[in-house]
Amino acid sequence: MREEYKLLLPAVCVLAFLVAAPTFYLFYTSFLRWFLRDPTGPTFAGVENYVKLLQSSDFAISLTVTLIFSAASVTFSLLLGLGLALLFSEDLRGKRIMRTIIVLPIVLPPVVVGFTWKFLLSSEVGVIGAYFMRLIGLGNLSLLGDPTLALVSVIIADIWGKTPLPFLIFLAGLAGIPSIYYESAKIDGAGSWQIFRSITLPNMKKPIVVAAILRTIDAFNSFDVIFVMTKGGPGMATHTLPMLGWKVGFYYFDVGTASAIGVILLLIVMFLSMPLIRSISR
Amino acid sequence: MPESKLKLLVIYTLAIVACFIVVFPIAWLVVSSFKTMFQIFQIPPQLIFQPTLDNYQRLFFGGQLMNAFTNSLIVSAITVTVSLVLAVPAAYSLSRLNNAVGRNVGFWIISVRMAPAFAVIVPYFIIMYYLKLIDTIWAVAITYLVFAIPFTTWLLKITFEELPKELEESALIDGATKTAALFRVILPNAVPMIASASILTFVLAWNEFLMAFILTSRDARTVPVLITALSGTHKLDWPIMAAITTVSMIPAFLFITFVQRYLIKGLTMGAVKT
Repeated sequence: MREEYKLLLPAVCVLAFLVAAPTFYLFYTSFLRWFLRDPTGPTFAGVENYVKLLQSSDFAISLTVTLIFSAASVTFSLLLGLGLALLFSEDLRGKRIMRTIIVLPIVLPPVVVGFTWKFLLSSEVGVIGAYFMRLIGLGNLSLLGDPTLALVSVIIADIWGKTPLPFLIFLAGLAGIPSIYYESAKIDGAGSWQIFRSITLPNMKKPIVVAAILRTIDAFNSFDVIFVMTKGGPGMATHTLPMLGWKVGFYYFDVGTASAIGVILLLIVMFLSMPLIRSISR
Repeated sequence: MPESKLKLLVIYTLAIVACFIVVFPIAWLVVSSFKTMFQIFQIPPQLIFQPTLDNYQRLFFGGQLMNAFTNSLIVSAITVTVSLVLAVPAAYSLSRLNNAVGRNVGFWIISVRMAPAFAVIVPYFIIMYYLKLIDTIWAVAITYLVFAIPFTTWLLKITFEELPKELEESALIDGATKTAALFRVILPNAVPMIASASILTFVLAWNEFLMAFILTSRDARTVPVLITALSGTHKLDWPIMAAITTVSMIPAFLFITFVQRYLIKGLTMGAVKT
């Protein structure tokens, strides 16, 4: 055996053991009627879990919330990230320190991001939620208690926490565009908007696609930021798919249905990330 | 004012506003961790106040709070150590294997990295439940390896690729085996890379919430789980929460200065060339 394979083998074996068996097990348990705390144990149920799930209004609501949340968070974080990257590709004094500041939220624990915003928006103690809202005469409005405002609030917190990702990707993308393109466009007398449309954007295609895919996967998995801020409430206003999975599996201990949710999430995310995985591992 | 000066003014204003939007929420939380319950509830909020270290005292002398920090440290340390031991040789191998086997293994490793945490946690919960490992740091650490091994392996693979081939070639010509070349030539030259990968893996484990939340209930709770548990209580103790979250941000503050160069590699798994 080639020596390279010997070096590779331990990691591959451990990972196969850690990943392959549980994945098959997940598909298997998604076909079982199984409440973990119920002494009767599992019985085979076929596709019952999937059928019941797809027919339930909880699933429809969670899917809708996930889609709205993802669309808003991904779109705005990409737009902001692009704007900031363009800003920071100019020659600024103190650029390094400012860039470090902008990037900071991405390395914070997401739970802390959620709590930071809960602290700002709280109608009890929040600078925005209690003080600023009273200043502008909306003191009786609760930012985390009103269904629509709560959804907007968790989206804003998520954008705040995740914009550094597209920002960094776009910064690298912009740095990779040869400056000669810009120089020749300027000689031809192109305006800044024209330069952006015909040089910057076409050359940023790949970074934009990469950022969009990574952010979409991340948004579909959203749990921590939202859970700290609203626990999915009020009602089901901020109830995402992973949150439905958590409630079904680890609150009601219906592990069969939770597995079905896991399979659905796995399929969605793998479908979304396949082009990216191909391009990375090429 | 000439046009270029005006443009500069706009650019600086926007950059400073952006920094303010990032810094203010964090700074406000840190400042508030030095307030008493009474001061935190004051409207309008007080910028000048008599600071107190009360919250930090309660934090460091309160058993369950320190327990969570210890758990987080141990879990993250185990995750980093085990992934490094497996990832360094695997990453070296992948970075030098230019064939279908290498590509397929790479494809599989990245797929695992991209998998949704919820799909992983359901079977792991059932398994840990029957192994009676629920609410132990072992359950958490083992589960973290599912993501940490692919993460560290791939990150090191793309950084090892940057090391010039000539480095090891002379050793190989002298009759050294690939393994010997790895230890004698590659490792000494890759210390900063390995350190950065370890730091990123540590932060990944330190920040993780969903899996730890589902696998622990009391004794093995990590910091994010504790924060969530306390922030869900009816009479929320805002000052102590501010102190806990402030302390939990320390790794991020420390590491952001060291690993910025590797951050984008880690976040995109090398999808973006830098």
